Amino acid sequence: MCSDVREIQTEKQTATMAPHGSNGGGEAMLPQSEKSPISTILIFIAMQNEALPLVNKFQLKEDLNSVFPKEVPWVRYHGIYKDLNINITWPGKDLTLGVDSVGTISASLVSYASIQALQPDLIINAGTAGGFKAKGACIGDVFLASYVSFHDRRNPLPRRDLYGIGMRQAFPTPNILKELNLKVGKLSTGNSLDMCKQDEALITANDATVKDMEGASIAYVAELLKVPAIFVKAVTDIVDGDKPTVEEFLQNLAEVTASLGQAVSQIVDFINGKCISEL
Amino acid sequence: MAPHGDESDGGGEAAIVIEAEKRPISTIVIVIAMQTEALPLVNKFQLTEDLDSVFPKGVPWVRYHGVYKELNINIIWPGKDFTFGVDSVGTVSASLVTYAAIQTLQPDLIINAGTAGGFKAKGACIGDVFLASSAAFHDRRIPIPVFDLYGVGLRQAFSTPNLLKELSLKAGKLSTGDSLDMSQQDEASIIANDATIKDMEGAAVAYVADLLKVPTIFVKAVTDIVDGDKPTAEEFLQNLASVTAALDKAVTEVVDFINGKCISEL
Repeated sequence: MCSDVREIQTEKQTATMAPHGSNGGGEAMLPQSEKSPISTILIFIAMQNEALPLVNKFQLKEDLNSVFPKEVPWVRYHGIYKDLNINITWPGKDLTLGVDSVGTISASLVSYASIQALQPDLIINAGTAGGFKAKGACIGDVFLASYVSFHDRRNPLPRRDLYGIGMRQAFPTPNILKELNLKVGKLSTGNSLDMCKQDEALITANDATVKDMEGASIAYVAELLKVPAIFVKAVTDIVDGDKPTVEEFLQNLAEVTASLGQAVSQIVDFINGKCISEL
Repeated sequence: MAPHGDESDGGGEAAIVIEAEKRPISTIVIVIAMQTEALPLVNKFQLTEDLDSVFPKGVPWVRYHGVYKELNINIIWPGKDFTFGVDSVGTVSASLVTYAAIQTLQPDLIINAGTAGGFKAKGACIGDVFLASSAAFHDRRIPIPVFDLYGVGLRQAFSTPNLLKELSLKAGKLSTGDSLDMSQQDEASIIANDATIKDMEGAAVAYVADLLKVPTIFVKAVTDIVDGDKPTAEEFLQNLASVTAALDKAVTEVVDFINGKCISEL
């Protein structure tokens, strides 16, 4: 997903990876399919209350004849919106405990299964996040991640340390950024809602502006399966602020979820009718 | 379909399930995170690498398989990371590989085998091989009611009293996290989990196996003493080769014990 080019079997020769930053000049080398408009998008959203406003906005229907194995709680909503096949997948409520299946394991499993079943042209991971005021984040801001990394996979051995961090670039979308009122920042992912000292040190090393619980694992899967991915994160709480995270998160969740919905909706409208290289 | 024991629910799905459990185990999947842990077992069981992969193009996951006695054995290794060239350790790879393996191979039993850190305060020594009684996470802290339990994700291993009795394996609770080292928060959570051993995949394998309802056991050999004097990474590397041999021996004994038995006889 950090590559500009998606590996697809075509009759033409496979394009080489354009170097980062030279999207514009590489167009002649793109596989034929990337010159056609984006057709199928997959939006992965971890929490039901983040997902439902968008399900309603796009008038999607729950897929009752699931593309997923019958045992899993994962939910797919889908429908046609303008010229796009839109899929929103949500990992569902944990079967034992009944809470949203947040975190990197569910996110990676659902992304993997969704890509296999739906073969999207683009993945959007949308959700709420913590923000760092020292890096310019405010409650209600919506960020498009530039890079995504983990902050809770510490492996102090050569190369395994980098593997643990797993830094990946989001698919570059300079035109989306230019057109819409989104901020840019690095995203750091971990499985904890709180933040211990080690996490903080690594988040700082990751130079992150926003902190979530799924992004980097989706980036991992998207890269494995060669699907471009972008990350849209709305700030519910200021991590380096005075209020305790949980309290602030719960307090702002409803309102910020609405802002998130709006931003994703604008992104989808922008995407409509465009090729991947036009983003 | 004869009812099992004194069950009188006779026909229908319950009886079908019970019948299946009376058949000997046929297919097993052994999930192993590191190549150095996997290869001795691949050689022992004389498995061959699956070149016509059951996995999607583009993933580094490797399947070794073959028939050993009356078992179809599959060893699944998540492979080397394409960017960094190291074993794809940790919970994300482990859960993906377990999911994909269950979908394509439909095993009767999963064995997650590997090395682990041990706590001497809980009786662990270098070279010990443990059968985990349960698995839980120690690095997923979500301090909201019920979410906290979800984060910990405690799951019982499939109960194998006969296996434990027959073989010289220790029993203990397993705690999983994505870091090789241990922060103070991790330590507090590991203690709360009452863990004897600490690894980087178990609870993730348990999660997927539980979702898809496949019985799973965890065989973990201790390479380093976490609450000891030596730094983890150093001790781990020092003991990896010899402890891998101990792991190899234990897993072979487990597989030999399983051979010819039904799931309920374990």
